[in-house]
Formats: sequence, structure tokens, C-alpha cells
Amino acid sequence: MSTDRQPNPSNDFMIEVQNLSHSVDLGTDSLTILQQVNLSIGKGESAAIVGRSGSGKTTLLGLLAGLDLPTSGTVHLDGHLISALSEDERASLRSRRVGFVFQSFQLLPTLSAIENVMLPIELAGLPDARSKAEGLLDRVGLAERMQHTPRQLSGGEQQRVAIARAFAVDPQVLFADEPTGNLDTRTGEAITELLMTLNREQGTTLVMVTHDQQLADRCQRHFVIEAGVLHEKQSDKQTVTAA
Amino acid sequence: MSVTSKVISFSQDLRERNVKVMLLAMIIAVATVATINAFADHLQRTLMTSASGFLAADRQLNSRTNAPIPEAWYAEAINQGLEVGRMVEFGTMVSNETQFQLVAIKAVDNAYPLRGELEWQANLDGDRETITSGPKPGEVWLNPRLMRLLELQPGDSLEVGATTLKVSGVIVREPDGGFRLSDLAPRVMMHIDDVAATEVIQPGSRVRHRGLFAGNSAALADFESWLEPQLTENYRWINVRQGETLGESLDKAEGFLLLGGSLAVLLAVVAIAVASRQYALSQRDRVALLKTMGLTGKRIRKLYISRLVVWGLISTLIGLMLAIPAAWLLASMTAQLMDQPLQFEVDFWQLWPAILTALVALFAFAYPPIDRLRNTPAMRVFRSLPSNDSSALAKDLLLAVVVIFGLLWVYVNDIVLVMALLGAVIALVVSLAIAGAGLIWILRRFPAGKGSWRLAVIALYRHRNATLSQMSVFAMTIMLAATLILVRSSLLADWQAQLPEDAPNHFLLNIAPESVDEVEAFFNQHQINRSPLYPIIRGRLTEINSQPAVEVALNKDDDELRRELNLTISDSYPDDNQVIAGQWFEADETKGLSIEQSLAESLGVEVGDELGFTVGAEKITATITSIRSVQWDSMRPNFFLIFPPKGAIDGLPSTSLTSFYLAEQDKQLLNDFVRQFPTISVLEIDHIIERIQQIIRQVTQAVEAILVMILLAAIAVMVAVVSATMSERQREGALLRTIGGQQRLLVRATMLEFALIGFLAGILGVLAAEIAVWALQYRMFDGEFRWHWPVVLSMPFISAVILAILGRWQLTPVLTVSPMLLLRRLE
Repeated sequence: MSTDRQPNPSNDFMIEVQNLSHSVDLGTDSLTILQQVNLSIGKGESAAIVGRSGSGKTTLLGLLAGLDLPTSGTVHLDGHLISALSEDERASLRSRRVGFVFQSFQLLPTLSAIENVMLPIELAGLPDARSKAEGLLDRVGLAERMQHTPRQLSGGEQQRVAIARAFAVDPQVLFADEPTGNLDTRTGEAITELLMTLNREQGTTLVMVTHDQQLADRCQRHFVIEAGVLHEKQSDKQTVTAA
Repeated sequence: MSVTSKVISFSQDLRERNVKVMLLAMIIAVATVATINAFADHLQRTLMTSASGFLAADRQLNSRTNAPIPEAWYAEAINQGLEVGRMVEFGTMVSNETQFQLVAIKAVDNAYPLRGELEWQANLDGDRETITSGPKPGEVWLNPRLMRLLELQPGDSLEVGATTLKVSGVIVREPDGGFRLSDLAPRVMMHIDDVAATEVIQPGSRVRHRGLFAGNSAALADFESWLEPQLTENYRWINVRQGETLGESLDKAEGFLLLGGSLAVLLAVVAIAVASRQYALSQRDRVALLKTMGLTGKRIRKLYISRLVVWGLISTLIGLMLAIPAAWLLASMTAQLMDQPLQFEVDFWQLWPAILTALVALFAFAYPPIDRLRNTPAMRVFRSLPSNDSSALAKDLLLAVVVIFGLLWVYVNDIVLVMALLGAVIALVVSLAIAGAGLIWILRRFPAGKGSWRLAVIALYRHRNATLSQMSVFAMTIMLAATLILVRSSLLADWQAQLPEDAPNHFLLNIAPESVDEVEAFFNQHQINRSPLYPIIRGRLTEINSQPAVEVALNKDDDELRRELNLTISDSYPDDNQVIAGQWFEADETKGLSIEQSLAESLGVEVGDELGFTVGAEKITATITSIRSVQWDSMRPNFFLIFPPKGAIDGLPSTSLTSFYLAEQDKQLLNDFVRQFPTISVLEIDHIIERIQQIIRQVTQAVEAILVMILLAAIAVMVAVVSATMSERQREGALLRTIGGQQRLLVRATMLEFALIGFLAGILGVLAAEIAVWALQYRMFDGEFRWHWPVVLSMPFISAVILAILGRWQLTPVLTVSPMLLLRRLE
């Protein structure tokens, strides 16, 4: 497996997308979801992709993370051309560099909170999974609930576990899909705060899909997607958040 | 334990409903197959042991000529650990100094009988005693008729050839007496050591030597393989199966057990296939999540295959652990019917088909959908994607057909049975596809009705994929259960018809014309029903097409050429005979003759050939007009040769034969009868019939037990399948309640939905079963095809009711737990 194949040397971007289009086959017809997307996100930057339901933002997130391949165009993730890698190579690339936070948390119901956080550390073959997971859960305020299973936790608590899990392998890039979508406003704000703080502390690149304008406003870059077409919105608050 | 392995560790697996279902299916599969196998093996050994009394041994070696059985063979048998016995049979005259009588002598050694018992009386009026050895040297036992004919008492002397023996008892019944109407001469039993002194056996005398062998099956098999190459056509090696009376009953029972076992295998395979598919479907989200964390396809496959191995091992072990006591229980149930029950033993060879079933089912049916998990798109973490595995389904189906075929082949090694079942399964799949498409079409166009009916129809349409796959499993399950029910009924009916409780169990031979009225009066006086009288004319077959028969017959050594045959006259043939060539007699037939199939083959004669007979001083000829097949094990009067009422032997001196049923408690009447009619032979076959009925009772009970096991397994499979989609249905139920659905509406709609699935599956399943039974009937159970209306009509309703109950059962939490709690629990 060659995840260590030479990254594109001319590239300082964490993510670089050129002329990306994506369509799905509907039998007789095909439906274009994304058209001619171009975007680049630097290392350590935070970016929000905003759009209505069905605008193609989640599809774009999946393509950026290498979960799927675009119909045409290229995606470079940390200098690696995604479409040149096999599925297993892409998986290996993800195992140490990529973290995810999902709208529906996606915790394994049969594992306890700490086991859910330990899982990616073990999958990546990193040492000290338990102590690292304990530290992260402590960091997200769940030191007392490590042995609880997801069913015993509230929505906000489950998302905290998911965030701890996302940061477990010290990813270079974190993809978040509507991280506050399933939470009430106050809990959502707390989660946003946590996510941004961790992101800042760890210097992670953050790519987030949301339709929460407030959340989007806290990111350095702000993209809007409409009917599969992406354009960047120049935010006046950019300097504020970047500071 | 690392967390990774815990993600799908065994204890985690057990929390998953689909895994539980799959494990349960595996355990049922292994347990059913192993139980049936171990029990069938035990039953077979029991039946063989119980039936071996008919040979007075486990095996007999019979000489077809005068040559004795080589001593070296006995020596080798003893060397192999077998018990042996020697027996000589011949006919001769005996006398009490004043009267002579032709008798059939059986000379036995000290070992006789190796199996079974003799019935004996100290004198004519004494009680019957059961003993396990023959007469001592110097002594002789006579049958009651001979005692009276020669007016002998115990203690008197009997001259047998050149020697004189002391009469020391009355032989009433011998275990290997068999059922030979041709042996009309009364029985004398003596010790084999006295035979030489009689000087009766001379070159050319008709003597038959019989070797008796008994021992465990391994030693018997060893000896058999040693002996076989040395056997010439002059010797016949006989086991109970080849004996005249039991072969067919045992074959049919064994066929049924095999069928039961194969159906258990099929049922198991269906259950495992369904459960593993459900399991794989339920694992897709997890696999997608693991993929986002960077788990490669290779590692995913490794993780899941290691699960399969663990499940396979554990469920096989549990299945086997359940099977052994279950088989023991079945064995002890049948043991209650036995005089001498056989010790129940299990060895590995009885269990390996179950282990093989588990392995094959796991890797041929559970593996493919689980292996495909690694192809789950990682994008599934965001939203569920339609799975595109119709080509995989076709591949799976093809693999399933091949594997089922192979498994059944290994298991039963009977191409007809395998093809019949496979044909029915394929027919079922095709009709399911057609019926399924039709059903969807109808549901889409007619979602009419109201209330619970409308809700049920909508649910059927909404769950159409689940509906179809569940219906397939139910239909398959019903087909298997119905096949077994149908075969069982026809098998039992067949046996019952063959040997009803009041089947004639005594024969009277040698009824002189002048005695007929007196016999009639005796029977009337004691209110015994007898069958019609068959006239018997004793004659030798001497010529075939005017040539000496011994010279032109195909088999010149045929015994029937060397003894007198029973010729009879009848205008109709027995019910269980079939005319296989030529025509039965016309009303005024005078020339014709009907001959039994095997005799015709042995003589090399066909319809149109002329046979010549010597009857007393007369010579007669007749042309063969028909050839019949005869059921020699029917325990009814059967004849090699039948002449028409106005035919060649009409008017020749004859005696008569009849049969009647006498219950055990009326046996005393026989003594009165024999005293009153000393010249009439009584052939008692009540013990043979009793033994066969006992075997049939055992097999019947075994058949019932296996049927119950299969039906339980079938219901377990249905429960498994229903519970596989239970949480989804419960969620819907909870949602319906949340938005105000009344409990009654919910219960009715769900029960209706399941009843509809059950009804349709019932129709398809029972029709497929008819196809399977139709194919099986000819080959294995010798019946004719007919519609089994009661089963065909009732099965759809029964399956509708069972499924409605299952539907109600899986709804219980929805009705008893608050919707909020339930939705949260199911999340």
C-alpha cells in the first residue's frame, strides 16, 4: 500500500479541488449533484460549506474526505491525489490524518464512551489508546461518564464523545457534517465552542458542512453551495475569527 | 481485549438481534441434523437387532446345493470375534414303528438360536415356554400335528433313518420359521450331532446347510468383506434386509429418516441464509463508520470472517450438545416399545453430517453477504444508499443451488431424492418470483379498503422487499414441513393397509375336501372369520414347451424344479399382485396359466410358452397367459402358479388353504383345533406379524418424533425471520401509536399483514410440497400421486394463523411500552 507515495510537492494546501463534478446514475437518467467545483483550503484553516438541504454539500464533504470518488475532476488531500488511490489506500490515508464528526453522532451503541474514543486510535495502530482517550474525554467534560454506553448519554454528551473520537488520532483534517444539527441551541453552542477550541489548540484543518449561519460565521472561510455550484462568500467577520 | 476486537466480539455479537437469530438458526440446524442422524442410526441398529430374530442370527449363510459350508469360514468368523451356529435342513420319513410320516427336519447345534427365541411345550397340553436353545443330542422335538399323527408322547422313541431319538418336547414355534406355505411337511427338530447316525444324507439327497453368524456390526462387516470374494453362486449371504418379510418396511423407514434429515438440512440452510443476510444488512452502517476511520477492506473481511469461525464453532458445539440428549430421549421413547432395547451410543460418524452442514451453511450462505460488507460505500455514514446487489443475489442463488445439491448428495446419496427436493425448491423460487411480482402489481394498484385492511396492504407494499424475502422463507419452510407431513401420512397409511391389526396371522394348509364342512363348523362355532378357501393341487413342473424342464430352464438349479409346487385355481388374482405381461383369464378360459415374475425369469419363459406338470399320475399342460408380480412380504396367500376355474387342473384331487386372524388370548383354540383335525397343518405367523407391527409402531413413533422436530425447527425459523425485522416494525408501530393509532387498529393491521403473507406462502409452499411428494412417491415410497386436499386446503390457513400469532407477538412491546420509551430504546 502506498499512502506514503510522494505528495504533490508544489502544494501547501490541505485540500485542493479542481474542476470537480459529480453525478449519480439513476438508471435511465443521471443526476448532476456537483458542477465544476474548485476550491483550496490551507493547512490549519477552518472552512464552512453552507447550503440548503439537497444542495450537494454532504456529497462534497464525502468527496473531499475520499469516501467516494468524483465523476470528473481531481481532489488532493494533504497532497495525495485521491482518485489515484485504491479504496484501501484511501482508508489508510484516513486512518491517521482524518477525523469525522457526524450529525447523528455515529457512536457504536455496544461500546462504552471510552471504547468509542479508543477505537480509531487502535485502528491506526497508535500506542496508549486508553490514556489518550481518557485525556480527551476529560477534555470534553465527560470524565465521569467514560463507562456509559451511548444510550445512557444525552444528545450533547454523545456529540462530545464523537468530538473526542474525532480528535483521537490527532488528525490533520477534521470533517464535520452538521455537528449541531441534532442538538438544541444551547447545547449546539457549547459543542461549537468545544469544536472550535480543540481545532485551534491542535492546529487541525476543519471542513464543516452546516446550515447554521452562526456556526459558519466562526470559520475563516465561508463557502456557499447552491444547486451543485460552489462559490466562496467573502465574510467581514473573517478577520475577527482569524484573530 | 482490544476495543477493535470488541467492536465485533462474541459478547458484542450476542447483543445484536440478527446475530442471535443467526446463531439460533445454526444451533437448530446442527441440533436437528445431528439428532436425526444419531437417532436414525440408533433406530436402524435397533430394527436390525429386533428383526434379526427372523434369521435366528444377524446373518445367515445358506447353501444352495448339498455342499456343507466350509469349516474354514466358521473358523475365520470365530477369529473375527463372531458367534457361529450350524444348521442342516432336509426332508425324510420318520416312524414310530407302526406309522411313517414325511417330515421336514431341522438339525441345530448348541448355539442355536443366536438371536430370537423358541417356543416349546413339555407335552401337548403343557404351557408354552420361551427357551433359547434347541434339543440336546439324542433328543428330538416334534410339532403338535406330528405328535398327534404319530400318537407320540414325550419319552417315546422316534426312528429317524438309522437312528432312534427320544421325544423330549413339542416345538411350537421357531424364530426363523419364516413364512413358507410350501413347507407342508411337519417340523422335527433334532441335534446336529445326531445327523450322521441317521444315515439319511446320501449323495443326491436334498440337504440345505445354513451357517448362523452374530456379533457387533464392525466384526460382521469385517467378516463380510473377507467372505464376499469367496462366495460362489452356491452360497447366499443373507441379512434381515434380504429376508423375505422385512426388507421393504425397513427400506421405507430408512428412506423417511433420510428425507427427514435432508429437510432438516434444507431448513437449516434457509434459516442461516436469511439470518446472515439480515445480519450483513444491519452491519453496513458500522462498516461504513469503520471505513471512515481508515479500516481497510482486508481488515474488515478478517474481522468478520473471524466472527463467522467463532460463531460456527460455538453454535456447532451447542447444537451437538443439544442433539445428544435429544437423540437419547427419542431413543428411550422407542425403547419403551421394545422387548430388549438397544443401548444408545453416539459416535463421531453420526455427527459429522451436522458439522458439515454447519460449515457449509456458514461459508456458502453466511459468508457471501458478510464478505460483501467490505464493499459498503463509506458514504453510507452520511445517508443510507440503495444497495445494488441484484447481480450478487443471482450469484448467491446459483451458489446456493449448487451447494444444497452437494450437501444433499453427500447426505442421502440418492439422486432421485435430491432432484425431487431441488426441483421443488426451484419450482418454488420461480413461482415465488412470479407471485411476488404479481402481488406487488396488485398492491400498487389496489391499495383500497379501509381501516386495518388498508393499513395492512400499505405495510405489505411498503415492506415489499422484506415481504418477498420473508414470504420465500415461509413458503420454503411450509414446503418442507408439508412434504414431510404428506410423506408421513402416505407411509403410515401404506403400512396400515399392508398389515392391519386384524391381518390374518394363521394359515391352515392341507384341508382335505371331506374336512371342509367340519372346519367351517368349527370356525362358525368359535365365531372366527376366515378368508376364502384356495384349492391347492400339488404338482411338479416337468416340461417347458414339451422339453424336460430341468434341461431347458434358464436356471437349471432352481429349487422350484426339484420339488412339488402349490398350484391353485382362482378367477381373480390377489389385490397386491399386478399383471405385468399378458392378460388375466377370460371368463371361460380353459388353457391358460398365470405365473409369478421371478419364477418366469428363472425358467426363462414368457407369455405363450407352454408348461407341463405332473400331478400324481396325471400329466397336464397349460399355456402361460399372464405374468404377475407378487408381494411376497404381504403375509397373505400368494402363489407361483394360478390356473383358471375351468382350466387344466380343474377336477384334480386337491386340498384347501385358508387364513384367519386369532388374537393372542384365543390361542388355546388352536390346541382344540389340532386335536380335532390332526391332518391339517397350522402355520402360525402371528409372531412374525407381531414383530413387523412392533417395528412399524417404532418407526411410526420415530417418524412422528422427527416430524415434530422438523415442525418445531420450521417454527423456530419463522420466528427467527420475523424477529429479524422486528425492530423496524416496532419502530413503525411506536410511530403509529405516537400519531394516534389505536391499539386495536395496530393489532388488526399487523395480524392481517402477517396472515396475508402466511396465506400466500402457505399456498405456494404446499403446492411445491405436492411437486416434491409427487416426485418422491414413485421412487421411495411406491405410492401413486394424488392431491392431498386436506393438507392443500388447510396449510395456507394454518400458516396464516401461525404468522398472525407471530406478528402479534413481535408487536407486544409496542402495545405494552410507551411509544416514547420504545422509540428511544430502538434508536
